[in-house]
Amino acid sequence: MSKDVRPSWDNPMQFVLACVSYAVGLGNVWRFPYLCQMHGGGGFLIPYLLMLLLEGIPLFCMELAIGQKMRLGSIGAWSSISPYLSGLGVASVITSLYLCLYYNVINAWSFWYLFHSFQSVLPWAECPVNSNRTGFVEECAVASPTQFFFYRETLNISSSMEESGGGLHMGQALCLVLAWVIVYLFIVRGVKSTGVVVYFTATFPYVVLFIYLIRGVTLHGAWNGVKYMFTPKLEQLANPQTWINAATQIFFSLGLGFGSLIAFSSYNHHHNDFEKQAIAVSLINSGTSIFASVVTFAIYGFKATFNYESCLERNRLLLLNTFDLSEGTISVENVTAWISQLNSTHPDIFSTITDKIQDCSLEAELDTAVEGTGLAFIVYSEAIKNMPVPQLWSVLYFLMLLLLGMGSMLGNVTAIITPLADIKILSRTLSDETINGLVCLLCLLLGLGFTSPSGNYWFTIFNEYAATLSLLFIVFIEVISVCYVYGLKRFEKDIEDMLGHRPHWYLKLMWALVSPLLLLCLFIFYIINYIQGGAPTYQAWDKHMGKSVVKEYPVYGQVFIALLLASSLSCVPIAALYAFCRRKTRSAVREEHSNTNTAE
Amino acid sequence: MCVKVQMPSGEMITGFLLTIILMSPVVAQDLCKESKDGFKVRISLKTAFGDDAYEWNESEKFLFRSTLAYAMRKKTGEDTYNIENILVCNDTKRVSFIFVVTLPADPTQLIPKEEVERAVRQSKHRINNAFLLSDMTLEFVGVPPTLAVPIQYNTPPWLIVFGVVIGIVAVGIVALLMSTVSKRRRAKAKDAGFDEDEDDEGIVKENGTALSGLNKKDGVYNPGFSNDERFTKL
Repeated sequence: MSKDVRPSWDNPMQFVLACVSYAVGLGNVWRFPYLCQMHGGGGFLIPYLLMLLLEGIPLFCMELAIGQKMRLGSIGAWSSISPYLSGLGVASVITSLYLCLYYNVINAWSFWYLFHSFQSVLPWAECPVNSNRTGFVEECAVASPTQFFFYRETLNISSSMEESGGGLHMGQALCLVLAWVIVYLFIVRGVKSTGVVVYFTATFPYVVLFIYLIRGVTLHGAWNGVKYMFTPKLEQLANPQTWINAATQIFFSLGLGFGSLIAFSSYNHHHNDFEKQAIAVSLINSGTSIFASVVTFAIYGFKATFNYESCLERNRLLLLNTFDLSEGTISVENVTAWISQLNSTHPDIFSTITDKIQDCSLEAELDTAVEGTGLAFIVYSEAIKNMPVPQLWSVLYFLMLLLLGMGSMLGNVTAIITPLADIKILSRTLSDETINGLVCLLCLLLGLGFTSPSGNYWFTIFNEYAATLSLLFIVFIEVISVCYVYGLKRFEKDIEDMLGHRPHWYLKLMWALVSPLLLLCLFIFYIINYIQGGAPTYQAWDKHMGKSVVKEYPVYGQVFIALLLASSLSCVPIAALYAFCRRKTRSAVREEHSNTNTAE
Repeated sequence: MCVKVQMPSGEMITGFLLTIILMSPVVAQDLCKESKDGFKVRISLKTAFGDDAYEWNESEKFLFRSTLAYAMRKKTGEDTYNIENILVCNDTKRVSFIFVVTLPADPTQLIPKEEVERAVRQSKHRINNAFLLSDMTLEFVGVPPTLAVPIQYNTPPWLIVFGVVIGIVAVGIVALLMSTVSKRRRAKAKDAGFDEDEDDEGIVKENGTALSGLNKKDGVYNPGFSNDERFTKL
């Protein structure tokens, strides 16, 4: 009985929080600050906010409208719009599957770091001691303790993709199991359980961000970082890469094209006001990005100042020790003055230490821009270990990362289970809980491959290729189908039926003209980039030098990338072809029937 | 032929002894300065204590020499080492100096560098603590520090936290699934129960009055016929 009635959110607030929880994810914390830094600090906000208006809000609104109207997951919704478009839904589900596989591995890392924060000395604060206790383990001494902890103890990474032996990292595998078990707990009852969880996953990260904001700006040297971020370098606006990055960031940050938004809004009541909610969620998402980058730059400033002052301190000690001066003569402030003075007065002694004197520059420290897992797990943990009471800050930070990641996972998994639950055969034979459990189990088993020593390199392949080009293609086809296959007038009438008023002319303009053009440009740009870039490369960790080196993907790696892209892109034409053939055979059979009828 | 040898007089002996005694620090200094068996020591008091740093004076140097003598005693097991066996020279304002260790039996001979190094490494922790310093602030140049053994846990603490969290989550999932299963069973039982009730009503057929259909044996309370005197007082 209850299976025929579609479940729905308990109240519209749950839906909004679910969308916020899904859209506000790790990218807001580790990608946006990097882009801000690379493209001229405060000046980057101009293209970013412009793209939000041009493509972010309109496309977000469109996906919510489709889901709310069709009341089906992505496969069902697009099949209803046109039978030739069922491949679009399948492509969304496949892309969501790829995303689920690798995204939860990041949550597993967050769990690993979170559990390791409950120690008196944080394990990434110090290098482990070597066997005869004379010094530190060589790999750690060449790199830094935080890098060693990430690459060796967390990932146990191999030096290249070809070296694949070594079994699974048991700790990582356990954390991945935990991550999937928790995801299952959150989605086991579908929208009923998700709706309760999002109250927490959507709001707690803001609490932590606020606490970190206060902690961050009170750190020594934080203002250096914040000032650096907000001084706009407007000449970057002339660089086309800035605009492209702004467009792609808005696009990927909102999570369009995965089918999650369609799935979430399919559980809405028919007359839910999604337009206002779409604007609200998009603005909250962008606002969170800016808020998170203020916090990140405060932490950057602290770390850069700490490194700069350590560098000056090392120089000072070197001078004191070489010239045997009393400790009070040189202070951290006048080190540079003393260097030039001693160079002129005692050039012979000074020449012995010229190669050991380091060039300390605050600008250079601030210029080192890091993004992605490197920022979250290496740079941030390095800053945390130097704060007072580091265990508390570490727990708070990784808890926030976990909630951001889990919130996004809710949307990712819902994008898979909603279309599956719509398939009548499946929902009649298996209960909802069983379907959800099987999906989580499948993703867990496939995801265990990422915990092998070369797993991180496969992770990078998925991260860079699985959900980038295909999404652009999917959303482009989505916009074109809604405007020109389904018809903009018909869509307008549907919205009027749901909301009570027609969509604003601005939205219609964006849907029909600007967004498709923008998406087409981005798609072409990506393809040109792939072709021009030559053989794809990756960063491999060299344990003897203690840093990452660039290597080319092996042949099977490149074939795998091609397969990844082809598997999602080809769904649309293949399904369209299949629908076309079925129509032809069906109309042929109907003609035969009518011929035999008339004959009789 | 007898050659007359002049016996040294008392003054000459005293003079000789005095020269030796006065020369010995000079000899000692020579031993210390020109030796290849010496170690340079660097002490950073201001780095360690900031404004509360104590002053490096002769008493501190005395303490240093005695701790080194202690280290040599501990290493060799011989109780013959004394403070005179530790010679210090080349004092600088940095607070750095060179020291050498002489044999207790023969003050002109030095202990080789390797032995001194082993003695220092064995007792470095005690030497540091005598001065409230650390490996970073009390450096023996050329002697690598003996790093403290990191804390070894029987069960790593992360595994404990992991076990707690996964236990709670497993309990949560089992509770949710059981409540779903029992809800389904109750719904099935209610469906079956309704069917039985209808059969009962069908079997026990009365005249088909409305009252029998109401399933209330006591009838319906009609307030119009009640004797409610509370309201009729005039």
